[in-house]
Amino acid sequence: MNALQSVGLPRMMKEQGERRVFLPDFVHFLTALGVEVFLEEGYWSDGGFTIEEYQRDNPHVHRCSREEAFDRELVLILRAPERHEFNLLGRGSCLVTMLHYNTRPWRVQRLKDLGMRAVSLDSITDDNNLRLVENMRAVAWNGIDAAFTELERSHPHLFERYSCPIRVIVLGTGIVGKYAVEAATKMGSLNRNEGYMEKGGTGSVAVAAGRSVTSRTSIMRTLLESADILVDATRRRNPSIPVVPNSWIAWLPPHAVVADLAVDPYLPNDRPPVVRGVEGIPQGNLDKYVFLPEDPDWERDIPDGVPTQNRRTVVSCYSWPGVHPQQCMEHYSRQLKPFMELLIEKGYDALSPEGGYIERALYRATLRAWLSR
Amino acid sequence: MKRMSVGFPRMHKERGERRDFLPTFVRRISELGVPVILEQGYGSGMDISARSYTGTTKNARFGSHEEAYSQDLVIVLRYPNDDELPLLRSGSCLMSMIHFPTRPGRIKQLKEFNLEAVSLDSVKDDTGRRLVENLRAVGWNGVETAFMVLGKTFPGLENRNRRPVHVTILGSGGVGAHAMQAAIRYGDTKLWERMVRQAVPGVRVTVVDYDVTCIEHEMLGILEETDVLVDATQRPDPTKVVIPNDWIAHLPEHAVILDLSVDPYDCTENSPTIKAIEGIPHGDLDQYIYYPEDKAYDLLPGCVSTRHRRATVSCYSWPGIHPEDCMGIYGKQVFPLVRVLMEAGGPTNIDPRGTFFHRALSRAMLSHWPTAQGESV
Repeated sequence: MNALQSVGLPRMMKEQGERRVFLPDFVHFLTALGVEVFLEEGYWSDGGFTIEEYQRDNPHVHRCSREEAFDRELVLILRAPERHEFNLLGRGSCLVTMLHYNTRPWRVQRLKDLGMRAVSLDSITDDNNLRLVENMRAVAWNGIDAAFTELERSHPHLFERYSCPIRVIVLGTGIVGKYAVEAATKMGSLNRNEGYMEKGGTGSVAVAAGRSVTSRTSIMRTLLESADILVDATRRRNPSIPVVPNSWIAWLPPHAVVADLAVDPYLPNDRPPVVRGVEGIPQGNLDKYVFLPEDPDWERDIPDGVPTQNRRTVVSCYSWPGVHPQQCMEHYSRQLKPFMELLIEKGYDALSPEGGYIERALYRATLRAWLSR
Repeated sequence: MKRMSVGFPRMHKERGERRDFLPTFVRRISELGVPVILEQGYGSGMDISARSYTGTTKNARFGSHEEAYSQDLVIVLRYPNDDELPLLRSGSCLMSMIHFPTRPGRIKQLKEFNLEAVSLDSVKDDTGRRLVENLRAVGWNGVETAFMVLGKTFPGLENRNRRPVHVTILGSGGVGAHAMQAAIRYGDTKLWERMVRQAVPGVRVTVVDYDVTCIEHEMLGILEETDVLVDATQRPDPTKVVIPNDWIAHLPEHAVILDLSVDPYDCTENSPTIKAIEGIPHGDLDQYIYYPEDKAYDLLPGCVSTRHRRATVSCYSWPGIHPEDCMGIYGKQVFPLVRVLMEAGGPTNIDPRGTFFHRALSRAMLSHWPTAQGESV
C-alpha cells in the first residue's frame, strides 16, 4: 500500500516558449505505481500532446482545474511556482520542484510559513554531493549549438573547407564548462560536426581557461582576439565583478558570438550590485535567446549604469535545457523514476537519512533536511 | 534463504598494485550478517592492519587465497589472473571490473566455468551513467604526475614572468573532461592556489577531437606550442594512430606526454594495435614515469617507431596511484550493490524491471548481458 495516492501536475505558466511537460510515458509510469494522476487543463497542449495520449487505456489519468492539480498529496512541477501560487498548495501537499533553497531564501520561508512539505529536485544529491537530477549537459550542448547556429548563419565562410578550425574559448571549468568543451569540439551538434567532416571542414578547437588566466588582461586579450565563440561557463566567487568587462568585448572579432551559459542575473539593487559574467549582455529566455548587436532589448533589459557600448551577437537563455523540451523531459523522467517510486511508496514524513542510497539522496532534498542543517 | 558468503582475494598484479577494499567497506558488508573471508595479508599493501578488518566484527576472518575465492560472492577490483579463475566455485558470482564489451574472451571463460558475474564497469543507471567509476582519479592523478615531471623538465614553471602553460588534450569525453578540470589546476589544488598567490600565470587548455587531430598542419602548429600533451582519446579503431611518432618531434624538448587512454600495443595482428600517441611506453603502478633515455622504449614491439621521444607518464591504473582515496570511492559505490544482492538472496533474484539498483545490477550481469545489450557474444 502506497503512502501517497494522488499526484498533481500543474502547468508551469512561464514564458510562452516554455513547452516542457512530463511526458505521457512518465505519467503512465506513475499510474503503474498505483497513484491517480491529475493533469491541469491544457497541460498536454503545452507540450504539443493531446489528452488522449495521456489517458489512452489508462483510467487513472484525470483532467482537472489548476487549483485541483495543486491540491494533491504530491505536486510535481519542474520549475518552481511563482510566489502567489504557493497559496494554491493543499494543506499537507508535498511540492516537488526545482526550489534552489540556497539562492531563493524567500521560497524556504514561504514554505515554512505555510507548513508545507517540499522536495527540491536540484538538492537531490548522492553521498558524494553529486546532483542526481540535473541536465548540465543540455545547458552546455544547447547553448553551444545555438552559438554555432548563429555563427553559421552570419558567417558561413568560416566553416568552409580551407578555413581555420573554429576557435571556442570556454571560461570556467566546472561541470557546465566540462560539457561546454565537449560540445564545442563537436560544433554543438554531432550532425553538424559529421556534416562538415564529410565536406572536409576543419572542425573546431576548444580552449579552456580558469580563474588564474581570466584574471590576466594581456593573456585574455590574446585569447579574445582569436575567438570565434566566447563561452561564459563561470561560477564566480564574487558576482559583483565581471569576468569579461564590457571594454574587453571590443577585442573579440566582429563576427564572434558570445554564449552565455552561466545566466547570472543583473541585480543592481543588491549591495554590492550583482553583474553578469560578461558585462553588458542581455539575458534571454525560451521566448528569445538570440540577440544581435542592434537588438532593442539591449537598451530595454540591461539596468542603467551597465556599460553596453561594445556588443557582439549573444545567445543567452535562462533555461537552456528547455530549448529541446522533449529530450529534456525524457532525461529528467529517467532520473526521477527511482525517487518517485520511493516517495510514493514511503511518503515524505517517513524518509530517513539512514535509509538506502535513493532514500538518503531524497532525504537530503527535503525542506525538513534543509531546515535542520 | 541461505546467507551468501563473501570472499575478498588480494590482487596479485604488479608490485605497485597496493589496492584492497578498506576496512569500512568490509565492516559494512559483514554487518549485513554474512560471513566474510579475506585473503591473508589483505590491506597490507596500504599498511592497514589485519585487526582493522576483523577487530569490530565476528563475521569477518582471514583465510587462504583459495578460500577467499571459494565463496558465494567474490569481490576483487581487477579481473583475476588466468590461474585464479578456476578457484571460483561453479555457480558462484564474481564481482570485478571485467569490461564485457572489449573482453569477449572473458565472457567465454566465465561461461565455461559456469559462473555468474557482475562487471562493475557496466553497472549503469537508467540514463546510462556508470555507477562504479573513478574517471576523475584517472584525469587528476595523471595530470598531477605530468606536472610533477614538467617541474623537472621545465625549471621555470613557478616563474611569474613565464607565459601560461599550454596543455593540449586529445579527446573530449569523460576522461578528457576531468583532465581539463585538473589541468587548469595543475592536477593539484594546493599547487594551484600557491601559484595564484604568487601571481604566476595559469594554464591554458586546448581540447581537440577527431575532426581536428586528423588535420596535420593544424596539429603541428598546436604541438609546437604544447607543454603537456594528453591522450584522452577513445578510438573506435585502435589500429589508427592519432599522433604518429614523427609529429612528436614538433613538441618542445621540455614537453611531457601524458597517457590516460593506456591502450596497449599489439603487433601480432596484420593491422597492429598502436597507442594513439605512437612510440610512448606503456606504464603500470610499478613504473609510470619515463624519460627519453629509459630502456622501456627499446622494449616496445618492432612495429612501433620510438625515434622521437619526450618525457612520458603512462599508467594502466591511474586511480591506483593514491590507493586509499581510490578504494574509499569504490567502496562507497559498490556497497549498495552488494547490499541489494544480499537482500535479494543472490544474483538469480535480481529483477531487470525491479528497483533502481536491481535494474542497474542487471545491466552488468553476465547472465543478462546479451539481452541487456541487444547483441550476442
